[in-house]
Amino acid sequence: MSFVPGQPVTAVVQRIEIQKLRQGDKLILGFSIGGGIDQDPGQNPFSEDKTDKGIYVTRISPGGPADVANLRMGDKIMQVNGWDMTMVTHDQARKKLTKQKEDVVRLLITRKSLEETVSQSKGKNPKPCTYANEKQNLNDVMYTNNVR
Amino acid sequence: MFCRNQTTRATVARGSALEMEIRIGKFRRNDLQDAPPSQDSDIQKKIDHEIRMRDGACKLLAACSQREQALEAAKSLQTCSTRIMAYMSELQRMKEAQVMQNVPRRSSDAGPMDERLPCKGKVAISDLRIPLMWKDTEYFKNKGELHRCAVFCLLQLGGEIFDTDMVIVDRTLTDICFDNAIVFNKASPGFELRVELYSCCSEDDYSAGSTPRKLASKLSSSLGRSAGKKLRAAMEPGPCSPVSNGGASPLLLPVPSVPGPKYHLLAHTSLSLSQIQDGFRTHDLTISGNEECSYWLPLYGSMCCRLVAQPYCMTQQMMSGCLKVKQCGGDPQSWTNVFAVLKGTSLFCYHRQEDVEANVEPAFTIGINKETRIRASEKDPQSKVQHICISNQYGGEEVTHTLTAESREDTHRWMEAFWQHFYDMSQWKQCCDDLMKIELPSPRKPASITPKQGSLYHEMVIDSTHDLSSTVSDILARRMQELELRSQLGMSPTWMSVFEENDTKPAAFPRQCNSRLSGHSPCSPHRRPLSPASPPCCPRLGLLSSDASLTSDSDSHCSTSPCCHHRGWPEPSLNFPLLSSSPFGLRPRTLSLDAKLSTLRGRGYGGGGGTFQCPCQPPPSSRLSPLPISSRSPLSQRSTQTTLSCSSSTSSNSSSNSEGSHSPESSEGVLFSRPSPARRSLRNLRARLDPRNWLQSQV
Repeated sequence: MSFVPGQPVTAVVQRIEIQKLRQGDKLILGFSIGGGIDQDPGQNPFSEDKTDKGIYVTRISPGGPADVANLRMGDKIMQVNGWDMTMVTHDQARKKLTKQKEDVVRLLITRKSLEETVSQSKGKNPKPCTYANEKQNLNDVMYTNNVR
Repeated sequence: MFCRNQTTRATVARGSALEMEIRIGKFRRNDLQDAPPSQDSDIQKKIDHEIRMRDGACKLLAACSQREQALEAAKSLQTCSTRIMAYMSELQRMKEAQVMQNVPRRSSDAGPMDERLPCKGKVAISDLRIPLMWKDTEYFKNKGELHRCAVFCLLQLGGEIFDTDMVIVDRTLTDICFDNAIVFNKASPGFELRVELYSCCSEDDYSAGSTPRKLASKLSSSLGRSAGKKLRAAMEPGPCSPVSNGGASPLLLPVPSVPGPKYHLLAHTSLSLSQIQDGFRTHDLTISGNEECSYWLPLYGSMCCRLVAQPYCMTQQMMSGCLKVKQCGGDPQSWTNVFAVLKGTSLFCYHRQEDVEANVEPAFTIGINKETRIRASEKDPQSKVQHICISNQYGGEEVTHTLTAESREDTHRWMEAFWQHFYDMSQWKQCCDDLMKIELPSPRKPASITPKQGSLYHEMVIDSTHDLSSTVSDILARRMQELELRSQLGMSPTWMSVFEENDTKPAAFPRQCNSRLSGHSPCSPHRRPLSPASPPCCPRLGLLSSDASLTSDSDSHCSTSPCCHHRGWPEPSLNFPLLSSSPFGLRPRTLSLDAKLSTLRGRGYGGGGGTFQCPCQPPPSSRLSPLPISSRSPLSQRSTQTTLSCSSSTSSNSSSNSEGSHSPESSEGVLFSRPSPARRSLRNLRARLDPRNWLQSQV
């Protein structure tokens, strides 16, 4: 998951849809995130590339909505409801996830095991999703859903 | 051992015989009876080598015409001079030690001779990064001459001195980064790694020393004030710069003074065992020099690097031999013959000696670490050989292995090896917990990745500016409606005209908007200096660093107020967002850490009774909704880093954001203290913005 600045990022991603859970008067997702372009990437225990400033899932509440939706600890979040998460501050990422007017978030996540699964499955011809950093291309990118 | 002086300066007297000898390179052997000749001649060879290198560098310096070459040659000159100094002082120390040895020692002095010496190890330092702190005016204005300096680092440990590559620094750089990884062999646990940063002004017009004084003063008085100041500073060493060959040297080896660039010491620091960590750490720098010096760079005052050590006890086999092992609790007669190897934190027991080279897995491994206890047991009545018992605690259980060597001498040697091993581990402390990786520098990646030095912004690619500008203007228009900007200001902010116009005329940006908006011109494509953050009766709309920041509901106020010179942030450069969307294709504005701080502070003011509320936010009904306590236990990997007590409670966050972040921010900190709201919010701000934290938020 290393990248070259200025070049599009390529990753094998998976879609995860999480229904928010109402707790009191808040809608929660049941996981914690870490990372962001304003954070120190060297302290990220989940990233392979220690310069990666992406948003990572650092904790999943057991039994919570994220757990039910099969989000895993250590996943890197690439998009939330279409908003890019690879180049955002920590606060921006949190805000995109905690909009109270939305009760479902659709995440695009990537993890190392996906890449391995894809590379190990012979005979199939997986097209890794080309994930461009340039904002204007966000709506134009085609994603392929990869098997887990 | 008695040691007369603690300084490292060589004190060879002028005109002394020793000095002559050093110059000629001969030693009178009858004076140095106990001297191991190889050591001296080793150092002498090194000195000769360095002198030759230095002469070569001087010649090159005199001959070369290009500035870059001259700087490189001057750097080699500096390195060679420092090395020569170090070798000289080493030689001096050795000679003194030998002289002292000849003096008959009193009986009371005896004792230290038996002292155990810890094993040596490798120390590696890599990824040096020194952040800079340019004034906002310098950074954004982009006018005036580009003040460039050439810098490099000199790293010294014991007798080894290495230099890093040279880096040209100007105000487009936010940090000085040295990619070199430098490995020192043969470092003892009490090492002191001295890091020195040398810099040299790299302006073309100021070739030092050659211009005659009168002409120089005429020139400097006729030039502009700042240029003249620089010229004068560059030409004379001045009070702010020590002589470049490392201090007033009493040595009489002729130090060549060559025309050309001279490096001056800009900052230095010393690292030792306690700073070793398998990760990045920040250290403070002691800065010498001041703003008047030509080689001055605005350093932040700290340095980040990765300092690791591999003691030899962790990497090499300390002891090996044949042993018999018996498990505790097993059959008393079941002794297993093994070939044991003591290395690192374990005693590896192989079935056969050949297995060690064959890299076969050992039969079993006995851990030898700080909690292990080893003792010699009673003599076996039959063989009169002592057993060695090794006890470990494995998860609450105590497991004892009993070993027997073949003879008493062997037993003694093994015990000696274990004692030495324990001593080494006690001396190297945290380096012996786990083997730290030393990454040798990989062959340089092709230059296509980082084509030239400069800020990351130069590598941004923005394809279609037109789409972007319309997006931006749409967003801004929407924003304005939401915030009722027009009614507040009573006029259409003139900066909107920037986007209504075609983006072909960046120069026609109206300048008067600067004063109207209480000192804020948020969307200036020019690097306009901004007045300090004024109270937010006027909303601040920063030029976006990403679209998301403008449309995010509560956090809209990204101002670009100037650098607040906050001393608490060792790494301001981390926060420069990497997206840019300047509609005019100019160098994009950066959103500095301090801007964010004032943003959040502004929000805090807004909470305290600002003049406007963001109408799109529903007032938070429950600010202090309790979060499950179990989920807020701080994770261990962050707990050691934060020194600021971030009261992470939601209450502090909510009190500072009255616009209402709908989900109470629960960025986890370390402590759960609840000081007064003002301190809490400030502390919380600091903790949230301190890049040493790796924040985690619950969503």
